[in-house]
Amino acid sequence: MSQDTHAATPNLGWDPTDPHGINPHDDAHEGHFVADWKMQIIILAILLFFTALTVGFYNLEQWVETAFEITLPKWINIVGAMSIALVKAVLVAAFFMQLKYDKALNTFVMLFCLFCVSLFLGFSMIDLGSRHLVDAERKAPIQAGGTGYNLDAAPADQNFSVKMGPKINTSGLSIVQYARLNGNDKKHGLLYYREHNDEATFWAHFYDGHAIHRDELDENDFFTQLGFGHHAEESDANISRPRHGLTPGLFSDVEPATGSHADPQGGHAEETQDNGH
Amino acid sequence: MTMIDTDTSSVPARILQSPKHWRNRAHASHWRTGDEEFDASKFGMWLFLSTEILLFAGIFCGYAIFRMLYPEAWANGSHYLDWRYGAGNTAVLLFSSWTAANSVRLAQLDKQFWFKVNIAITILCAIIFVFIKLKFEYLIKLPEGKAPGTFFSYPFAHDPHEPLWWSLYYIGTGIHAFHVIVGAILFAVVLWRAHRWQAFGPTQYTLVENSALYWHIVDLIWIFLFPLLYLIH
Repeated sequence: MSQDTHAATPNLGWDPTDPHGINPHDDAHEGHFVADWKMQIIILAILLFFTALTVGFYNLEQWVETAFEITLPKWINIVGAMSIALVKAVLVAAFFMQLKYDKALNTFVMLFCLFCVSLFLGFSMIDLGSRHLVDAERKAPIQAGGTGYNLDAAPADQNFSVKMGPKINTSGLSIVQYARLNGNDKKHGLLYYREHNDEATFWAHFYDGHAIHRDELDENDFFTQLGFGHHAEESDANISRPRHGLTPGLFSDVEPATGSHADPQGGHAEETQDNGH
Repeated sequence: MTMIDTDTSSVPARILQSPKHWRNRAHASHWRTGDEEFDASKFGMWLFLSTEILLFAGIFCGYAIFRMLYPEAWANGSHYLDWRYGAGNTAVLLFSSWTAANSVRLAQLDKQFWFKVNIAITILCAIIFVFIKLKFEYLIKLPEGKAPGTFFSYPFAHDPHEPLWWSLYYIGTGIHAFHVIVGAILFAVVLWRAHRWQAFGPTQYTLVENSALYWHIVDLIWIFLFPLLYLIH
């Protein structure tokens, strides 16, 4: 390149804000960090290794649970996966995003943002984890397993409904039970199998791997007929796994069960509603 | 001052004399130096990226709350997903993050050809990611009825809250996939300007740097979405 092109390039020529060249010329980004390609490849290799590690850890855990027929504590699964993800995230932020070599202000923005995220998560978890402390006081509005509102229930506020998606009438069933009966284009539901007198096929597929208890729609008790019932007869005392989710049978009862569960401990007589005792 | 003496003899004059060629571009007049402009732009990008993290924080928070309330539904939901597609997509994104980081370095060193190659590979990886997502996950699961909310029609679900799992799955991965597409569009703009005008070089690579940062944050989000959705049960 000749000198005249140089003169035509504002970046490299005379700087009107610094005509005497007092400030060091930094237009060529001399201070900018140029990553080392060997380092970048090593980081990529480490990241791929950690991906393989987390998948391997997951599969090892699944194998241990089936081979030795034990239930590992849930925190092993969560802590294993999330700590590996954290290491990967730090590597990406430090080396690919170059926070390690960058101005500290950018790292500060990121860390402050993560602090906010930890507030969101932390307070949500404190809320959920401590509800049992106040549930006794708020017994009337809260029921075990939710309010039991189904899709056909009127919205709490008649002027405002957040229901989205297709407006289907499930006649009091939950969406999962409605789907179980009706199925879809690709997978037939229970009604189809009943029409073809082949209900056993449906329930065999349904209970396969998930035989915990008899489903409410299983009126002819294929749970026992197909041999899944022996699971229920065995003692599950050593499986100290807490049961969560909806109370079984909740959706078969269209009436919300407000106040029908009397407080066994008593003691809050002034809060107990008048339900016949 | 760094001497920039890359051989440009094979580059046609049409490109070299274009005002959009990186040698002919100056920083905006209200900045004292190009460096100040670059640093401010990058800082602005980091502020934007922090809002992106907060956007996904809502989804992560929802995940944590529903997982705590309905662990059975979450365990079942995780078992419906095949970790192989998730791990494959993780590898695709990590690799593309590497090519994105490479493209910044190559722009800084004015290696125009390999710069464009790396950008092209990054775009290709974005397309592969979305393809795997659609072909092997969304378009398999949706016809089976594993759909969010009242679209749900899968007959063999066990937990009454599995539609909620699918809502969170589609919202989380869908917003993430949208970010992948936006990142690919950003890189397509970079590639076009690099091809047409050699717009990026040692003194002018702000758009490359910021697009790469955006791409890395997309990768970063997936690094957490992958174990949460596919591995934790």
